[in-house]
Amino acid sequence: MRIDARNLLDRLGKNDFAYKEFEDRFSELELWPILEALLRDPRLQAIDQAEATVAAMPEAAPAEVVETYSGESLSSLFSRYGNGPAASTPADRRGGGQQQDVRAMLRHLSDLGSQGKI
Amino acid sequence: MPVIVTHSLKGGVGTTFTAAHIAMALSEAGADVTVLTTAKRDTMPLHFGLQPAMTLPSLFAPAEDAVLVAGIDLRSLPSAPEDNDFVPALRDLGFLETGQDKVMVLDVPSAEFAFARRVIPHASASVCVLNAAPDVLALMPQVLDEASPEAIAATSFVINALDETRRLSRHSSAFIRELVGQRLLGRIRLDESVPEAIAMLQPLAKYAPTSAALADAKAVGTALVPALETPGRPWVARGSAPSSSSSRAA
Repeated sequence: MRIDARNLLDRLGKNDFAYKEFEDRFSELELWPILEALLRDPRLQAIDQAEATVAAMPEAAPAEVVETYSGESLSSLFSRYGNGPAASTPADRRGGGQQQDVRAMLRHLSDLGSQGKI
Repeated sequence: MPVIVTHSLKGGVGTTFTAAHIAMALSEAGADVTVLTTAKRDTMPLHFGLQPAMTLPSLFAPAEDAVLVAGIDLRSLPSAPEDNDFVPALRDLGFLETGQDKVMVLDVPSAEFAFARRVIPHASASVCVLNAAPDVLALMPQVLDEASPEAIAATSFVINALDETRRLSRHSSAFIRELVGQRLLGRIRLDESVPEAIAMLQPLAKYAPTSAALADAKAVGTALVPALETPGRPWVARGSAPSSSSSRAA
C-alpha cells in the first residue's frame, strides 16, 4: 500500500476504503438471460426444499441459530418478475406441505417474456 | 476434533485460500487447528507464505515431520478421496468430536465432489465457496440436483473474490444472496494483495495487513467458531450474511 493511502486510512481510522456503497437489491436487478434460465430450472428449488425436508426430521434444528438476516425463499423471487403469485408466509414457503407450482411459474415467466416484459 | 469441510462447485474459485484463512481465524480464536488438503496438485502452502516446492507431510506422518505455521499443523492426504476408510480412520484417530482442542479444516478439490458428499455428514460444518460469476451460477442446478437434501441443508456458502464495482458480479452476488439466504456466511472481496502475497512468499496477514480480503476472510472464519461446538450434525450459518447495504467495494 502506498504511504499516502496508508496515511489517509490512518486519518480516517479505517483499514480499507470503499469509494462507493453499492446497494443493488434483487428486485431492482436486470434479469440477465442466465439468471432467467436458472430461475426456470426447477432443480434450483432443491435448495429451498432441502431445508423443509430436513426441518421435518426429528433432530431438525442446528444448535446455533442466530436470526439476523431475513432471507427469502426461492419461490418469492419469482413473484418479483411481474404479478405472479407471491409466496405468502415463511411458514407456507418452508412448511414442506405446500408444493411450489413450478409449471405455473414457468408459464408465467414465458408469458412475460413473450410480452416483452422481462 | 470437529472437521470443517471446504469445497466448491468448480475449480479456481478460491476454496484453498478460503480454507487457509478459516484455519487461521479458528486458530486465532484459540482452536488447535490442523489443515488437511486432499488435492493432488496442492497450493495450500502458498497461502501460508511457504515455498512453492514445499510438500506437506501426510496426515499419518509422525509429529516430528509436521509443518507448523503460526501454530497450524499443515497436512496432506491426496489419497483420501479414493480411500473408503478415510472417515473411519478420522474417527479412530479421535477426530469428529466437538470442541476446540483439535480442529480440522479439510480442503476438498472441486472435482472430488463425491468425496465431499461422503465426509459432509460427519463434519461440523460444510462450506461451499462460490464466485459471483455466471459460470459458477450455471452449475448450481446440476449440483443441487445431485446432492441429497441433507447435504444441501447442511451447507453454508461463501462468495469469494467479489468485485462489486462490476455490474454482473454485483447482480450475480445478489442472486446468490437470495438463493442461499441465511446460509451465506459472508463474502470476501476481490483483492490484488492476495496473489501479490503469494508472489512475495508471505502470508497475506504479513504482506498486506490492511487487505480487504484478509478482513473479510477472517470474518468468515470467525463466523464458523460456533460450528466447533455443534454436536451431532453439521452446523449451518444462520444470519451472518452481510446485507447488500453493507457491501463495499475494495
